[in-house]
Amino acid sequence: MAVQVPGDDLFRRIQDRVAVVGIGHLPFAKDIGRPISDTAVEAIQLALDDAGLEPEDVDGMSMLEMEGTHEVSIARRLGVQGLRWWDKISYGGGASCATLAHAAAAIAAGLATTVVCHRARNRGAKTSRPWAQERMLVRDDKALHVPWGLVRPVDIIGMWAHRHMHEFGTRREHFGNVAIAARKHAGRNPHAMMRDRPLDVETYLAGRPIGYPLTLHDCCLETDGALACVVTSTERARDLRQPPVLVHAVAQASGPNPVHLANYNNTPAMETTSVFCARLLWQRSALQPRDMDCAQIYDAFTPLVITGLEDYGFCRRGEGGPFTEGGRIELGGALPVLTSGGGLAEAYVHGFNLILEGVRQIRGTSVNQVPGCKATLVTGASGVATSAVVLRAA
Amino acid sequence: MTVHPDYPLPDVDDPVMRPFWDGARDEGRLMLQRERTTGRAHWPPKPMYWKGGGRLEWFAASGRGRIYSYVVAHEPFLPAFRHLLPLVLVLVEVDEGPRLVGHMVGCRPDEMAFGMRVRVVFERLTERVTLPVWEPDR
Repeated sequence: MAVQVPGDDLFRRIQDRVAVVGIGHLPFAKDIGRPISDTAVEAIQLALDDAGLEPEDVDGMSMLEMEGTHEVSIARRLGVQGLRWWDKISYGGGASCATLAHAAAAIAAGLATTVVCHRARNRGAKTSRPWAQERMLVRDDKALHVPWGLVRPVDIIGMWAHRHMHEFGTRREHFGNVAIAARKHAGRNPHAMMRDRPLDVETYLAGRPIGYPLTLHDCCLETDGALACVVTSTERARDLRQPPVLVHAVAQASGPNPVHLANYNNTPAMETTSVFCARLLWQRSALQPRDMDCAQIYDAFTPLVITGLEDYGFCRRGEGGPFTEGGRIELGGALPVLTSGGGLAEAYVHGFNLILEGVRQIRGTSVNQVPGCKATLVTGASGVATSAVVLRAA
Repeated sequence: MTVHPDYPLPDVDDPVMRPFWDGARDEGRLMLQRERTTGRAHWPPKPMYWKGGGRLEWFAASGRGRIYSYVVAHEPFLPAFRHLLPLVLVLVEVDEGPRLVGHMVGCRPDEMAFGMRVRVVFERLTERVTLPVWEPDR
């Protein structure tokens, strides 16, 4: 049943009428040894193989991109005959689901018929951290925080996390529940960087401080990776190799006053960008939080999952910490979260792996399969201009 | 005035931010922006041509506020700040309302508390750049 949102015709045309039909990724690595201009092409090829489509079928491309690779080069190497529509979305972890949102909109609007979405990044090396490159003259919005030393993402998110602890009584053990759940799920995932590295609460609590209150195990990995998915109309999807995974609802939002990874001047300040994204998403969705069988909530740092659970309406503001107790977010719990291990334990690739895991859950092929999974939420990063998508079974 | 060669200095010539950096350097004042009609301060600042111009003004704030949140930064960190570690990064809710990013001076991490009163002090980094930073308002 399509939800009725006056004037929101485009979103009605997206709802369940666009589908993810292929996924693919290269093995994650600390040093993949190849440029992203190359790994991107192979990831897309793998996703097309998975779908049973040829490069000649592709006429659109949507990418999460901040490094300066080019659509035309990727398309040419793939053997795409010509793009009719393309799009680059920046904002790191906020943009993962936006690639899918834009692809769905393009297909619904008739701008393209088959779109490949991808993210390729090489950030495994310590020297590749963007924050570690900050020096000399800081311009534009970065001058609002970098000159004081607020430059590492861990500190920017830690500022929120600490306030959340103060305001709502959230404890480090709650953050630990997120890290431990992600590791547990990664333990069964042969692709996960941390597959052989279980984590217990004592080890979590003993982690060295990075940006206190955040400590070592609150932080995601930094990984080289290349991932892609193929999107087309649900009608066309019926003839393809895989069961279609329907794009049910999509949203993007910046909210007011965003600066880099935060919007500290919102009132109330605990409203991250995800609050605004969630509002749009659920408005455009016939399915609601209670209908989600699992959730892939963006996890560059553990507190983002706690606030994400609140922002996306799985619990009330301030209750995200206690929500993680008693295994509720682990496989077998009421809302398994990050079932592939996420950015904390599978690979940190700006959250694109969360999209692929969402697709696997709907197909029924996850290594941590939620029995009978019919719908899942995938989100981008809270804090930065963000995006989210609801995927469902046909 | 021996700033690390890789210190991430702000572009003090940015047309929107210039009054903030000029005020800190030349007058030792914390300059903020407000709307003329409502008197409400906001942050970050907007360009003065906003909505046709004439609606905004810069003013010298009290330079006092409260700790809204804070983080204690440890290694790995930028070499330019290494001598300050553990560095107490703060979000100060100034008495005029907005929340400003900053860091503490003359205050150990274990002396920090939510809601603690702080006041601005000015740290000269170079001939052109003075950074407003915060100390306990005892």
